[in-house]
Amino acid sequence: MSNLDFDPFDDVAVRLEAVTMRYDSPEDVLSDINLVLKPGSFTFLTGASGAGKTTLLKLLYLALTPTQGDIVLFGQRTSLLSRDQLAALRRRVGVVFQEFRLLDHLTAYENAALPLRVLGRKPADYREDVEDLLRWVGLGPRMNARPPTLSGGEQQRVAIARALVSKPDLLIADEPTGNVDPEMGARLMRLFIELNRRLGTTVLIATHDLSLIREFDAPLLRLSHGLLARDVEFGASA
Amino acid sequence: MKEGSLLPENDARESALFFVVCTLCFLAALAALTAKATYGAAEGWTAEVEGEMTVRLRDVDRRAGDEAQRIIEAVPDVVSARVMTPEEIEELLVPTFGRTGFPAGLPLPLLIAVENQPGAPDVSANIARRLAEEGFSAVVDEHADWAGDVRRALGVLRLAALSAVALLIATALAVIAFATHAALLARRDIVELLHLSGARDRFIAALFERRFWMLGLRAGAVGALAALGGAAAMIFVAQSRGGRANLLPQLSLDLMDILILVLTPIVAGFAARLATRFTVMRALKGKDAAA
Repeated sequence: MSNLDFDPFDDVAVRLEAVTMRYDSPEDVLSDINLVLKPGSFTFLTGASGAGKTTLLKLLYLALTPTQGDIVLFGQRTSLLSRDQLAALRRRVGVVFQEFRLLDHLTAYENAALPLRVLGRKPADYREDVEDLLRWVGLGPRMNARPPTLSGGEQQRVAIARALVSKPDLLIADEPTGNVDPEMGARLMRLFIELNRRLGTTVLIATHDLSLIREFDAPLLRLSHGLLARDVEFGASA
Repeated sequence: MKEGSLLPENDARESALFFVVCTLCFLAALAALTAKATYGAAEGWTAEVEGEMTVRLRDVDRRAGDEAQRIIEAVPDVVSARVMTPEEIEELLVPTFGRTGFPAGLPLPLLIAVENQPGAPDVSANIARRLAEEGFSAVVDEHADWAGDVRRALGVLRLAALSAVALLIATALAVIAFATHAALLARRDIVELLHLSGARDRFIAALFERRFWMLGLRAGAVGALAALGGAAAMIFVAQSRGGRANLLPQLSLDLMDILILVLTPIVAGFAARLATRFTVMRALKGKDAAA
């Protein structure tokens, strides 16, 4: 697909148009990336360390702005949006960070409920949902524990619960099974798939875990030295 | 289940900031209270001296002094006139000669203390004219001449006190802005997470604003109370050591004093809130610009 025939109102969840990202060095971290993710698609992203996976994810969850090119999320061209409009768009994206980014002074429950607080929802309205979600990821008895007292796997599950709690339109997960045992990893993947199928959430998962990719047989994006192997359009659900 | 604050409750940096803001509020309130008290005392003193004058008569005895006193008492707008005793006159010379160094045989003028209606016109001129007509060689020393100088000096002092208060408020603002920026940097992880979770800048700024508004209020209240105690102690010490207590400032705790004490924490709270909002909003916009 050429960038010239772009229609801002077409049916895409994510569109990257000739996106290049460069930090302070003259070398591009990402070069001329063109990518389309349709609503309800489930996609893996893989690549060696330093290939630019995290940078690509950061662009998608609007933590960075591209050096060149443009990003369109849910039909909205991000370069044209105000700060408040960008904030509203971020609320439609759930992110599982590789380093979890939990707040140590909050309990597991409070960490998981954080996006709902940002949305301005009342605690009474979401308490049950958050508790159910934490029970589902196996943290029922650890709801009131604070992150420093949780294991790496438990922290990762809190981070996943936080990403899912607001039922986002787009879920971006950076190595979401990296710190859990294979059984819990498979269980979390099934949760992502269920979210994708039931709610139509667009899911993009970055992982090194080839066995996981093989097991769940979803379309695959491969990044190498800042380049996508080819311009591809993924529309299939897992 | 009550949810915890999105910002950690305890932070050693905030204790240090509390102390600094508290100290600045103490100094500002103390400067305002003492300036106001001093100004009030000086106003009373100038009002008093404006209604007084001294008549100096050369080469006259006590009987002539009594005659001059009667002449003065007859002048319109004169409330009273009194021939001062030699002891009173010597007392006036103590600042020049000391209590033991007064030269024997020094010829002393005869002084008459006159109290007149404050603001009445031409009283000194009428006294001088009447005494001259009766053959007295007299000099009328109008205390009001000094009141103008005192007023000018007080104006300068008041300006200095107000400048000190303004400078202290500006310093407090700068310190709070600096501390907020440091707090923001220290909690970059929280700010970043909230930002990526879709929190608007106002939402993030409001978290810090609430924290620093309360800090400003508490620090201001403690500083204002300490200033009240400090001012009372200073005035008490000055009055207990000085002979002329009526010239010293009085801590009346009138409406203006109460206003200063009540306004100090409110101004500190608002200053903290505004400084925080400005700093956080600027930092958030700067962060995105850098990204």
